[in-house]
Amino acid sequence: MNFIKPSRRTVLQAGGALAASAALPRFAFADDMPPIGTWPAGSQGSSVTIGAAVPLTGTYAAQGADELKGWQLAVEHLNSGDELIRATSPKTTKGVLGKEVKIVYADSAAKPAQAVQAQGKFISDDKIVLMTGSTSSAVAVATNHFAQREHVLYFCGISGSNDTTGKDCVRYGFRQDFYGQTAAAAIGPVLIKAFGKNRKAAYMTPDYTYGHTVTKAMNDYLTSQGGWTMVTNQVSPLGAPDYSNYVTNIGNTDAEFLINVNWGHDAVLSTQQAKQFGLLNKMKLVVPYQIPFLAKELGAETTQGVYAATDFWWTLEDQNPLAKQFVEKFQAKFGYRPEWGAESAYTSIALWADGVERAGTFYPPAVIKALEAGNHNNTMVGDCYIRAADHQLVRPVIIVQGKKPSDMKNPEDYWQVLEVVPGAPLMQAPDAFGCKLGDYT
Amino acid sequence: MISWSNFLSQFFNGLASGALLALISSGLTIIYGTLGVLNLAHGAMFMLGGYAGYVAFQATGSFLIAVIVGSLFLVLFGVIFEFVIIRRFYSRPPEDQLLVTFGVGMVLVELVRWGFGSLSLTVPPPAWAMGVTPLGFMIYPTYRLVVLGIAAVALAVLYFVLYRTRLGMIVRAGIEDSTMVGMLGINVDRVFMLVFGIGAMAAGFAGIVNAPVVSLTPDMGDAILVQTFVVVVIGGVGSFPGAILGGLIAGEILSVTSMFNPAYSEVMLFAVMTLVLLLRPQGLLGLPSRE
Amino acid sequence: MFRHRRFLIEGLTALGLVAARFVLPHLNVSPETANTILVWGLFGIGFDIVFGFMGMLSFGQAAFYGTGGLVAAYLVINNIVSNLLLALILGMVVAAIVGIAVGVVALRRTGIYFAMITVAIAEMFFFIENNPLSDYTGGENGLPGVPTPSIAIGSFHYQFGTDWSLFSFTAACYFVGIVIGLRIIRSPFGAVLTAIRDNPLRARAVGHAVGRYKLAAFVIAAAYAGFAGGLLGVVQGFMPPEAFDFDTSGQLVIQTAIGGTGTLFGPMVGAAVWLFLRDFLQSAFGLGATWKLVLGLVFVVLVMFLRRGLIGGAAVLIRRTTTRPAPPAPEQSAPIEAPAIASVGPARRRQEAPFSGPVIEARGLTKAFGGIVANRDINFAVEQGELRGIIGPNGAGKSTFFKMLTCELKPTAGRIIFHGRDITGMHVDDVCQLGLTKSYQVNQLFSRLTLRENVIIAALAERRGTFKLDLLRRIDRVPGLNDQVEGTLQLVGLTARADVPVAELAYGEKRRLEIGLALASSPSLLLLDEPLAGMSPVERAETVQLLKNIRRGRTLVVVEHDMDAMFGMAERITVLHEGALLAEGTPTEIQRNGLVQEAYLGGVAAA
Repeated sequence: MNFIKPSRRTVLQAGGALAASAALPRFAFADDMPPIGTWPAGSQGSSVTIGAAVPLTGTYAAQGADELKGWQLAVEHLNSGDELIRATSPKTTKGVLGKEVKIVYADSAAKPAQAVQAQGKFISDDKIVLMTGSTSSAVAVATNHFAQREHVLYFCGISGSNDTTGKDCVRYGFRQDFYGQTAAAAIGPVLIKAFGKNRKAAYMTPDYTYGHTVTKAMNDYLTSQGGWTMVTNQVSPLGAPDYSNYVTNIGNTDAEFLINVNWGHDAVLSTQQAKQFGLLNKMKLVVPYQIPFLAKELGAETTQGVYAATDFWWTLEDQNPLAKQFVEKFQAKFGYRPEWGAESAYTSIALWADGVERAGTFYPPAVIKALEAGNHNNTMVGDCYIRAADHQLVRPVIIVQGKKPSDMKNPEDYWQVLEVVPGAPLMQAPDAFGCKLGDYT
Repeated sequence: MISWSNFLSQFFNGLASGALLALISSGLTIIYGTLGVLNLAHGAMFMLGGYAGYVAFQATGSFLIAVIVGSLFLVLFGVIFEFVIIRRFYSRPPEDQLLVTFGVGMVLVELVRWGFGSLSLTVPPPAWAMGVTPLGFMIYPTYRLVVLGIAAVALAVLYFVLYRTRLGMIVRAGIEDSTMVGMLGINVDRVFMLVFGIGAMAAGFAGIVNAPVVSLTPDMGDAILVQTFVVVVIGGVGSFPGAILGGLIAGEILSVTSMFNPAYSEVMLFAVMTLVLLLRPQGLLGLPSRE
Repeated sequence: MFRHRRFLIEGLTALGLVAARFVLPHLNVSPETANTILVWGLFGIGFDIVFGFMGMLSFGQAAFYGTGGLVAAYLVINNIVSNLLLALILGMVVAAIVGIAVGVVALRRTGIYFAMITVAIAEMFFFIENNPLSDYTGGENGLPGVPTPSIAIGSFHYQFGTDWSLFSFTAACYFVGIVIGLRIIRSPFGAVLTAIRDNPLRARAVGHAVGRYKLAAFVIAAAYAGFAGGLLGVVQGFMPPEAFDFDTSGQLVIQTAIGGTGTLFGPMVGAAVWLFLRDFLQSAFGLGATWKLVLGLVFVVLVMFLRRGLIGGAAVLIRRTTTRPAPPAPEQSAPIEAPAIASVGPARRRQEAPFSGPVIEARGLTKAFGGIVANRDINFAVEQGELRGIIGPNGAGKSTFFKMLTCELKPTAGRIIFHGRDITGMHVDDVCQLGLTKSYQVNQLFSRLTLRENVIIAALAERRGTFKLDLLRRIDRVPGLNDQVEGTLQLVGLTARADVPVAELAYGEKRRLEIGLALASSPSLLLLDEPLAGMSPVERAETVQLLKNIRRGRTLVVVEHDMDAMFGMAERITVLHEGALLAEGTPTEIQRNGLVQEAYLGGVAAA
């Protein structure tokens, strides 16, 4: 089996990743922008394509579908030059650098390998210039490293783990949304302020890195700043069909707070059963990392009074004109008020478009440098900027509390915004979680 | 964490969740025992029962009607499933049976997702079973006590059907020697169809009864399916009393071990199953010949 | 099945892979997809050996896939091993070692119990990977940063890219995998696996150590899985934790079934179809989430109408259009004539010093099942060269007695001495290797093989011993095998029908093959359990002649209901009654024995 002939070697190396690009006259490119990733093949036509791998089946399907709508709206706004997207990406006229934007998507079932395979297909079939999508950090981390290897930019979707812009950060990967560290740092003071020091908390933690890091971040903060104690930590496997045993253990403690770190449907089920076992009558529920649609699935009966940290909630429309526009336009198109998965998706695309416009080219290293320039963008949650050292968006965290059913003004009016906590003070030092970004080429 | 009162609580909770597992598993084991088909769509049928009940509840607002409609729908589904598909697989290798039931399970899950979306849906418990009941050593959700009662009654009814009726006699004879039943001149086709219907009903009934405890999602059957396999294997494949014993044991393992280290409770279940298979391969109450 | 055109399939595979390298890019197939298909295909080769060829359905292959992958990824990412290929091989070795440990536990059971144990063990592996070992495995984030391979020979250095050049590497791995796989299934070892699939009981009875073969095959599958897992890490640039998922094992089973079991290529074909449909349904029809619903429906239809997967279905089609019918069964099957003294060794060569005295001796043999005593204190001896008959009314305990002699059943008390050696409590396969075997009352054949292949299986045990790991040896290179097989076929008069599948044989032919299987292992003592059962008069006469032929140089013990045949054949007859020895003597003595008459006629009179 000798597929590899030395004579082909030069062709393979110079030709870059794509057979198609090897066929193009090489002298067409400036020396300082050699072919890399899908550059220049992906942006030579009249349009560019974004690839999204997002769960449409499996336990995270609901969140995935919401994200997808956010991208679709963003792409539509880019192509029409909508004022909402131009608020975040001021240089945008129509499309990106005058090219129409298309989006292709595939079901990842929230599985890293499946997501990576789908993105690989998009890279070779569609020459995508940007990858996006994730509803769990496992997919975000995997795609991060894939992006670095393939030299194609990646804005992750929902990803709450510190690792995504921590030890698994990459030069080609960016994150818009809040994460374990900022969530804990934002909600912690609110809790201490509201309930005082030296309280007892029980934790429910899903048994994987995201869960353990969020629990640790919460506990570290509350212990050191407020003298709170962790009376039990109920670690459960992903997708447990029943939480009664965990809930029973918590019921047999004297905890005053139940801090539920579970994600996706696990969060819904565990909270629901905590309520059934009467826990929520004697403990205050705290959700440090709010799951899109949590309140809708649980009902306001359960979520009333619950404290949560989130990326976005639609009632921000009262405080932010961009949020108001977004909520209206989204609802007009899709028939419901967007959750934060859609907001995160929309903002990610806007930030990317702004980076490309400012770079004046799709050449990935140039786009990365433009995004790293510390430019401030106006978004639906206010002023934000990307931190060059770890590619994390410095952005506010929204603290919300569940409304009583009687206080709800419409069927989706589950939370009231307590506080918009500015982002910069919440962030750890850029290297605290071991981030090393890697090379541009 | 390991206090006497917590142990009592967990022991009781294990009993309650075990009873439900036993009910679902009994359907699986009856079908396997009689028809020799390991039904990988069983988890999906459990899920389907929940959704059927949900639809009925939405239409009528009556929990009782929801339970009845949900169960009957699953009987009907089981009978049709057997008639259209399973029937063609009796003479085929076991792996084909696994594949086709797996495929049908997948279709059911995605069909429900298509029809109802991925967001979870809730069925409230009947008004008289809301809230919690103090048991002395713990307070327990009233509806879960009801589920325990319902599961116990349903198992008793199944026991009666299997051990006190002619159909039951045939089913049990089939479990012991399926070729013999055919030779007795019994209309095997009809019996098999009925057995599959009963097995499906056990899953569907459990699904709707359990609906107020959990919230319904299209994928809810997956985790249950794996647990029912463990239950059936521990108790003895094809053994109805085995499914009950296995269900209770599994419930207790999941509950009691969670006191020591909650993360390990799921894996303990598999460890115990492996142990049982090695020490008593036919399962605790299984017949040695069935392998 | 055991005869193959050399290198044809290998050549076509190589051709196909090279062609794929150049054709697939033009068909809009991404290198990721092509590589993923080959990784699944490689993973599946081992699984197909265990499932398709040996008939054991494992639902736990993910444990080895994940283990091999994580070990390889860990070694190379942490710079413990710099050579990627070496890391992949080390991952494979670790997976194989894990395979031994798992196999020892899981293979104690068969069927659905085996499948369930593998599920349970795989779930435990998943847990261990995700929880206690997450510092090493990366937990749910997996291990990122697996590099692409490179080749350095002297000054020549080639670094594989992540594009189609990587396909060359995975294709090379797959090719090596398939070549080795083909060698394995074409080896004597592979032949024994198919025998175990068809009839483990008989495989053991003709002298194969079934347990050790199963373990070996299981470990081979684990090794394939381990290597494929490592390759997955290379293809994706990170080692995904989902390699350990139950879904991964499940998908492997499904893909293998779609492609076709027992083909080695099935898993690859199945993966190609599955991934193609997944991409196609989503991209071409924009189905969104409903893609899985449509795929599920397609899958159900495929399973319903294609019995042995796509490859199996295609094979059936080809056979229908091209095959000639097998030679019809002769009206009167080949007459068995007096001795064409066949070349089947009359007795074992590997015997120790010549031995005088009884060939087999039972001392105080007793067997009780619970409270029921089936055999009570039987003393019994057969001399060299004798043809001994055993008779007795129904329920006299003849079958139990026979089973104890061949060590299929362990006696409650008493000893069995074969050629002066105490064989009590030995394994059936070892006893067979000593030269003692039996033919069964109810045919125990390898039903999916041809007649010749059946005999080959039995002869292999004699040629190779209870167990031999000759994975890469061609079956036609086993010394003396062909002569032995031809000799046996001739002796039982089935040479003309040698290539007919067993399922198509007439009943009488099957009975003779049943005896042939016992003969092929060149026993010095042959026990025949009702060789004439269910035969027509003509067939009986032929079989009696056959027995007379084969007794030259052998000692025979025959249990039979047909008194006339027995009295005409045997030199001495032993009569069992109600589990105990009633009488023993020449046919004439027995016919005159009052006790015997009473035992038989008494039953009749009472009726």
